[in-house]
Amino acid sequence: MADSRDDFIIAVRYALLKKGAKQKFSLFFLIILSVLIITLDRISVPFITSSRAIINDIVYHVSAVVSTPGKFVKYISQVKINHFYIVDENENLKKEIKLLKLNRYDSLFLKTENESLKQALKLGNAKNRDQKSSIRARVILDQESPYLKSLLINKGTKNNIIKGMAVFSKSYLIGTIVETNYFTSRVLLITDLNSKIPVVIQETDVNGILVGAGESMSLNLEYLPENFFLEPNKIIYTSGKDGFLTAGLPVAETYLDEDNELKIKPLTDPRQASIVHVTKGFLNK
Amino acid sequence: MNLLNRVKYILSNNIAVVMLYVVSLGAFESLKEIPDVNIFSFNLQMIIIYFYILKFPESLGLGHIFLAGIINDVVIGTPLGTSSLSYLILSFFTNYMKQVTLRSKMTSEWITFIPALFFSNLIFFIIINNFSHLSFYYIELLQNTFFTFLFFPIFHFIFSYYQTMVKDNA
Repeated sequence: MADSRDDFIIAVRYALLKKGAKQKFSLFFLIILSVLIITLDRISVPFITSSRAIINDIVYHVSAVVSTPGKFVKYISQVKINHFYIVDENENLKKEIKLLKLNRYDSLFLKTENESLKQALKLGNAKNRDQKSSIRARVILDQESPYLKSLLINKGTKNNIIKGMAVFSKSYLIGTIVETNYFTSRVLLITDLNSKIPVVIQETDVNGILVGAGESMSLNLEYLPENFFLEPNKIIYTSGKDGFLTAGLPVAETYLDEDNELKIKPLTDPRQASIVHVTKGFLNK
Repeated sequence: MNLLNRVKYILSNNIAVVMLYVVSLGAFESLKEIPDVNIFSFNLQMIIIYFYILKFPESLGLGHIFLAGIINDVVIGTPLGTSSLSYLILSFFTNYMKQVTLRSKMTSEWITFIPALFFSNLIFFIIINNFSHLSFYYIELLQNTFFTFLFFPIFHFIFSYYQTMVKDNA
């Protein structure tokens, strides 16, 4: 009994402390170093925070270069897939254009009516989007992990990007800035589990919280009132109740899937974004 | 030409280190990019570390494992040092297995990969839960761990074959 315990201790000690032929560090030393880094990162020591920002900038750029061949392969496969679907897409687009032409006249009428009503109520021109504060950025990495669905963009604090700014792709909200470095920033996608946006459902006054489901094109609505049934083909807008995003930004839509189950998807696939607009013009203060 | 041969020699003799860094930098997304088969995504870093620490420890330094973990944390956005610690725990278990195993076979190495993976991921979960505000994708992680275990023999064969080839050439 004592012998087997001794053997166990010897094996553990050997595994932890013994340096191999070409090993410069012992496992024990590196484990202690890792624990130290995790602790310093957690308590956010100013020196570590600035060091992390520098490391992030360097690693993101190296990573962007290293993943170029992979991106090229992805691009080629995407082009191939697009080629096969282009005829169907063309047909659908023609139908959509017809529909949009019809809707346009209604929209113009509503816009004019809205403006005149605002003037009558002396609300002024409450334009939401402050174009001047919009920052155009390129996605340098769309690395996915089981922990975080995020994008990395090539603009950082140098370009006045701050935490919490809203990120748009094709005029649709795709996420918010959660980490800023000098040259780069990380965007938390609306599809991430950690993303929670207060929203309102089209043609209702029902509020809810739009939460990412962890999949690229899937979202969930939480905190809906009891006995409320969500209908398909409804647009979900931001409610602005977080005092952060302006009310009325289209974010997602409801639809029926192949099994006739009601699902929610973002209006644009955040992972397809290559150029994004980062803005603080949508701050609702 | 001489320089080219030298680069080739260095690369072929340090393939484990090169692979580990390339994978950590996010160049390899382990089937995530292929629609319909992204369920089979796996953690290649863990396979590389387990295999090379077990069979060719002189080819993969612990310092490189630590640094690759730091890079991986930066790329995927987890607290700095989490992946490093997870990989080092995996290295520790692998070292321990190596010490207590007299005659190693591929099947026994495959089976002992289970506790090594378990403890390595356990450390990862504990840190993520206590040192960050990130939520988990439990199913995705479970799938990832399962397929990491399942694909080990394939990579065992590939890496063993490669190392034999390098040895023959040398």
